[in-house]
Amino acid sequence: MIYLFQILNGIGLGMLYFLLAVGLSVIFGLLQFVNFAHGAFYLLGAYLTFDLTQRGFSFWAAMPMATLIVAGIAAAIEALLLHRIYKLPHTFHILVTVGLALVIQELVIIAWGPLGGSVPAPEGLQGVVIAGDFIYPQYRLFTIGFTAVLAGLLWWLLEGTRLGAIVRGGSESPSNMALLGYNTMRINTAVFGFGAGLAGLAGALAAPIRGVEPFMGVEALSVAFVVVVIGGMGSYTGALVAGLLVGIVQSVMTTVWPEGARLMIYLGMALVIATMPRGLLGRA
Amino acid sequence: MLNRRSFLTTSSLAAISLATPGLLGRASAQGAALKIGVPVPISGAFAANGKFATIGAQMAAEEVAKAHGIEVSTLDLDTEGKPATAVRKVQDALAQDGIKLFAGGILSSESLAMGKEIERGGGSFMTTAGADEITGPDCNKATFRWSVPTFGAIDQTVRPIIDALPEAKRWYTITPQYVFGDGLLNAAKAVFAEKGIEHVGNSYHSLTDKEFSGYLTNAISAQPDVLLLLNFGAQSSDTLRQAVSFGLKQRMTIVVAWASGLEQFEALGPDICEGVYFGAQYWHGADTPLNRELVARVQEKHGFNPNYSFAGSYIISKLLLDAAAKAGSAEGSAVIGQLEGLKYTGLTGEEEIRAADHQVIKDYYLLKGKAKDAMAGKDDYVDIISSGKSFLSAEQSGCKMTA
Repeated sequence: MIYLFQILNGIGLGMLYFLLAVGLSVIFGLLQFVNFAHGAFYLLGAYLTFDLTQRGFSFWAAMPMATLIVAGIAAAIEALLLHRIYKLPHTFHILVTVGLALVIQELVIIAWGPLGGSVPAPEGLQGVVIAGDFIYPQYRLFTIGFTAVLAGLLWWLLEGTRLGAIVRGGSESPSNMALLGYNTMRINTAVFGFGAGLAGLAGALAAPIRGVEPFMGVEALSVAFVVVVIGGMGSYTGALVAGLLVGIVQSVMTTVWPEGARLMIYLGMALVIATMPRGLLGRA
Repeated sequence: MLNRRSFLTTSSLAAISLATPGLLGRASAQGAALKIGVPVPISGAFAANGKFATIGAQMAAEEVAKAHGIEVSTLDLDTEGKPATAVRKVQDALAQDGIKLFAGGILSSESLAMGKEIERGGGSFMTTAGADEITGPDCNKATFRWSVPTFGAIDQTVRPIIDALPEAKRWYTITPQYVFGDGLLNAAKAVFAEKGIEHVGNSYHSLTDKEFSGYLTNAISAQPDVLLLLNFGAQSSDTLRQAVSFGLKQRMTIVVAWASGLEQFEALGPDICEGVYFGAQYWHGADTPLNRELVARVQEKHGFNPNYSFAGSYIISKLLLDAAAKAGSAEGSAVIGQLEGLKYTGLTGEEEIRAADHQVIKDYYLLKGKAKDAMAGKDDYVDIISSGKSFLSAEQSGCKMTA
């Protein structure tokens, strides 16, 4: 029975990991850009939610506000700085975005101090659901449902709309899109802002579960990369499958071999790299 | 008046403007009569503790300078919470800066590593880290420890709670898998065995874990009466926060054996702390003469109440610097001679440095979180339930001090 509970708990974890990773996957898939500042945008989303709720905004107002602010900041950074290095090798992407992540982290410490904080779950979602011996927080159930709906919307947006077709066209053949009269630089800026905004949203959603502290972005980045590498760089479905897989493995391992729960995630990633270099669902 | 957050904001800004926090200390260290290294994590998961520790050490340095009429400076050494980095920073400070006094080491693993290095370098070191080994089998002539080790921390938290809650017979533990966590777990198991408590399970976790829902699910399935958290800092805050979100406060008693006190309560907030038991090395509300003085001085200078990281760093820096000033030398042998057997009025009352193993004999506190509407002020998070001294004898600790 405990394993069933751990699988259910792992699904909850996995949906959060998916949301964390999908923005990174979108940015890499469409822009071929390695964004090591992704965890910092997650951090920023969490802290903005913390700050806005401290100022009296409800969580329901703070969550979209934080997401939009992070997306706006990221779009501005892309337009001012990052678009200049797209054509350079990935090592330059890593150098610049790691530096950017450190700057954001230190700015968070300056703005909110080195101590962390707690964000209460919204009214109506502060209780727990009890099913036999299984207890699960209502807010975590909400995040599963919310992320599932969001996953569907994202898929529809990227695969089923004209806007999605323009974005994909901008990534695959920027010159043709330019000939058709589209401003590919603006498309790239919008895609980067969108991907970072998803990280901000993940931070906002995670804040009532994890609280906030200045170094939470580092852990989030490592989980996001594991999910993206296992799922396949740039694969939307891969991020969903890998997110769930990582969440379930981590959760079940806390019962089977607790001290190795985290290790198993990285071993899994190493195994996928060795046997399927493009990930489970990565594009050739 | 500055509050804690704005003070730290300002100090962080100043530090960043100088590229690294360490540069501030180096800049002021020129031409000093006494220098003390402060090796603490200023970045990484335990950075909040380290940043308060550097301010506490600075305050001790200023007081000793004034009391003895000498120049005193601090040098911040960012250990990043990693033993290898800590050792490298200490080696540099010994060789390049000529520093012989070191006060810091928040994590047991880094303290154990640094203590050996400082002994080799002819210095002296005082720490607040918790593992029994520091003043036990791995003790050395140069290393002193102010904090109550894991044995005493468990004895002063688990034992009184067992006595107060005789119906609570089933305990579950969540433990970080390193020397400190194992120390707490072994001490807890010994008390459980003695008191007839059923230890219904334990979940080990790594030092990098942030997600504890799986471990909490294990705990729930074991149906304990008490959940005993044996982790520290941000990890114990994460575990407690997630345990409360799983509704465990309503189903069992939660005990955090080694809380970092005020800084942790501020990060958690009163709603999470209410009704939870916390073991603590220091509490600013403790009614002792030196503590009352320290609280007044810190309030006057910084506008906030001292927390454990601040107070621990303050007292260990002050003890080392006072000893060096009295000895007229910062050399290890001179300072050690002053400290061994020293009895003094400390932050927790009468304290004594046991010569045989260099352990400070002091009180440990059992605190209980208050309801938000029962708080008399913004920092009045807890009541002191009990306090006392629990230590293995120097022989039992396993310390074999070599000259």
